[in-house]
Amino acid sequence: MVKVNEKVEEELRAIFSGDVPWITIVWDDPVNLMTYVTYVLMELFGYSKEKATELMMKIHTEGKAVVSTGSREEMERDVARIHEFGLWATLQRGDQQ
Amino acid sequence: MSDLQKGFYPHGDNAFIANFSESEREVLINLSEQIIELLAERIDHHSDDPLAAMIGITSHDTPPEDEVLLRLLPNAYADQVDASEFRRYTESTLRQKKQGHAMAMRSNLISAVDGVVEIDRDGANDWLGAINDVRLALGVRLKVEENSAEELQLLAPDDPMHGVYAVYSWLGWLQESLLEAVMNGSQ
Repeated sequence: MVKVNEKVEEELRAIFSGDVPWITIVWDDPVNLMTYVTYVLMELFGYSKEKATELMMKIHTEGKAVVSTGSREEMERDVARIHEFGLWATLQRGDQQ
Repeated sequence: MSDLQKGFYPHGDNAFIANFSESEREVLINLSEQIIELLAERIDHHSDDPLAAMIGITSHDTPPEDEVLLRLLPNAYADQVDASEFRRYTESTLRQKKQGHAMAMRSNLISAVDGVVEIDRDGANDWLGAINDVRLALGVRLKVEENSAEELQLLAPDDPMHGVYAVYSWLGWLQESLLEAVMNGSQ
């Protein structure tokens, strides 16, 4: 039995539609408080405190982290919402990391 | 006295209170007004399409030249062509949303009685966004980097940047108090 979860389904759809998933990246910033970055990720994406803290630490230590994946339109919406709260985010094709 | 020392604190289920001194209130009103002014639309002498302007499409698609403004309205793509296109369709809305945060904060401060500000969860998000924008703006001027705190603390007391850094640090403390109040109140 083959079982596929939502992520795999998304990938399969992408293969046939020619769509490559896009990603939203948040970049490290020396001004933004660590607690604030965590809070914004919880508030905008509904992430748990644990997941948001993990992403925040990745941003802080590695300089950036992928915070969401989806269609280009969805990622443009995410970037706009992140910019509203003063974190710096960019979007790009997921296969160009 | 103790209220002055704790910044924001939770009050009931969905409210947060802070008690500001008159000078703190004045500084915050002043900074929110400066942010609102800074984020006002760039005057567009070439706009000949009122409909486009009405739905938030602008003809300017280059990043702001001012370093502070660029920090508040950053590029969304590494690619310049994509970044310009995105900016043309979204920058106007982003300016308005950020102005909205600062306007909400200003209005709460203007109507505060005896320096007491009470906000709900939405108000807290306005304040967090607005305080952050002010900190980003001050941070650019102070040239804040990852390990620059020590250097900034050593600024001579007669250096104007010494006072700017004091405001920047105080805003960080205020923002942290509101974050703590909101996160502990809701989790």
